[in-house]
Amino acid sequence: MSKAVTIVMIEDDEGHARLIERNIRRSGATNEIVHFANGMDAMAYLLGNGPSGAARKGDALLILLDLNLPDMTGTEILRRVKETSHLKCTPVVVLTTTDDAHEIKRCYELGCNVYITKPVNYERFANAIRQLGLFFSVIQVPSAA
Amino acid sequence: MSREHKRPPIVQIALLLAGLLILLGISASSIYLVYSLRQDADKIARTLEVENQIYVALLQVSRAESAERGYLITSQPEFLAEFTEATAAIRPAFDRLKQLTSDNAVQARHLNEALPLVDQRLREFSTVVSFVMNGQEAEANKIVQQNATRRTTTRIREIADAMRSEEDRLLRLRIAETNETQALSAIATTAGSGTVLALAIASLLLVRRSQRLRDDAEESLRKLNANLEAAVEERTKDLQEANEEIQRFAYIVSHDLRSPLVNIMGFTSELEELRGSIFRRIAELSAPEALAATPDSATAEARLVDHDKELVKDFDESLNFIKSSIGKMDRLITAVLTLTREGRREFKPDHIDVHELIEGIVQTVAHQADEANAKILIDPLPDVVSDRLALEQIFSNLIDNALKYLRPDVAGEIRVSGRQKSGYIVYEVADNGRGIDQKDHQRVFDLFRRAGVQDRPGQGIGLAHARALVRRLGGTLSVSSKLGEGSTFTVMLPSRWNLPLEGKTA
Repeated sequence: MSKAVTIVMIEDDEGHARLIERNIRRSGATNEIVHFANGMDAMAYLLGNGPSGAARKGDALLILLDLNLPDMTGTEILRRVKETSHLKCTPVVVLTTTDDAHEIKRCYELGCNVYITKPVNYERFANAIRQLGLFFSVIQVPSAA
Repeated sequence: MSREHKRPPIVQIALLLAGLLILLGISASSIYLVYSLRQDADKIARTLEVENQIYVALLQVSRAESAERGYLITSQPEFLAEFTEATAAIRPAFDRLKQLTSDNAVQARHLNEALPLVDQRLREFSTVVSFVMNGQEAEANKIVQQNATRRTTTRIREIADAMRSEEDRLLRLRIAETNETQALSAIATTAGSGTVLALAIASLLLVRRSQRLRDDAEESLRKLNANLEAAVEERTKDLQEANEEIQRFAYIVSHDLRSPLVNIMGFTSELEELRGSIFRRIAELSAPEALAATPDSATAEARLVDHDKELVKDFDESLNFIKSSIGKMDRLITAVLTLTREGRREFKPDHIDVHELIEGIVQTVAHQADEANAKILIDPLPDVVSDRLALEQIFSNLIDNALKYLRPDVAGEIRVSGRQKSGYIVYEVADNGRGIDQKDHQRVFDLFRRAGVQDRPGQGIGLAHARALVRRLGGTLSVSSKLGEGSTFTVMLPSRWNLPLEGKTA
């Protein structure tokens, strides 16, 4: 049995972060959730001091990524994560308000695994996150080796 | 600059007129002077003729005298013939002279004096000759010897001399007059020609000046045009940039507005979830013993005391207001997003069979039309080169609206027609629906604005969107309508739309 997946949530909006966390918990997922409100902190956590990503070596991670961040774009984070040898197999779920077709295409090109547009309607939003939580509770993720 | 341009022509016209007048004057005076010269010449000729005639008359008198002497001395008949001929010529010569000088009082007086003398002399001649013919030479000689005949002849000569000197005086006078006239004519011609020449030079200078002005004006116009083109290009670019900026701005704003909205909605829902727990807790606190048996929150709420029930009501009301406002805001943001996204879409010119396109739209709304008891008529429609998707959106919107705002008591009739109009194609979507009040004709095209009774769902976006699309296609969208009688929406599109110098759309 592999290690429980740690969810790395990169989301600048505290409210969204809380709502996401609550709904993941409501789905029954008990995974650890590490929240970062900006890109720099998230990168520091994921990559440590070097670009190798050795800081998280051996962890089973899943990244929940918002594209609109104050200090850097989500696509930049996505690109760097996918370029990092230890992290390139880490699933990245882009969860954002942007539903621009160009942006979606670009994210998949950069290696994102799932792209979800945050529904504005809260019922659907909550529903989507709960399903995501269910998904998180069963997903198998390789360790960052 | 325009004043400078107007001045030369007026001056030139004045110069031309002046030149013309002067030429006319010269011509008139020349004609007059030539005429008077000819008159002078006639007069001089007359004078010379008169002088000649005086000589002729005197010659005949002298001839008659010589013949008379010859005949008196020789009695030869040749002299008699000569004499007869000469005396016969005398009187006609003087008569001719009288005729010639009839207009001259002085000469007439002289002649009046001379003619009796001539007659007297003629009589003396005939007396002498008849004496000779009758052989009375002595008698004849006596008469001839008398000084009387000589005096008569001398007197005639004197008068003739006076007449001649009179004619000489006249001749000198007339020659002087002629010279004067000629001098005048020369002066007039020279002065006139000089003036005309001066005017010609002046107008030539003016023409050259105006030519130069025109060249300068043309040059500056050309420069201005070039600048204008550059300026227009620059402005167009600025406008395009501004437009793109607005599009980006609208997109970002509407996009970023969504984030907090998700929170508001999310936490409102969370509050709603909490509501049950809160009021259950209040009920528990106010009547704990009754609630222990029934943990269900609905029953718990029912047990609340009256003023707590008021609280529930207020709470629900607030929550509902928040939720409905969120819903509205969400729809507006979605609309703005749709519009800006549409504004960023790149258009592609395409040959479009509009009739087919409208038929397609009518098919998709057939169900609505049935429900509204309306029929949609499509007249033959001209084709157009434009963006297909934009046209679909425009006409869908217009036909949707027509179906949406029919009058319930009248069978709906919607007619789509079209015609060509000098480089443009005009399509009309006409209905017999409820119509739009005159004061709202502009308002219906404004974003988020609607007109009339608000009994149909809608955000007030459709027509704003349609107009924006038509404008991007280089056309116009307008309405003519009367409240209660129907509306006609007119779409005017360039028959061949080409990509304008629109910058790349992101």
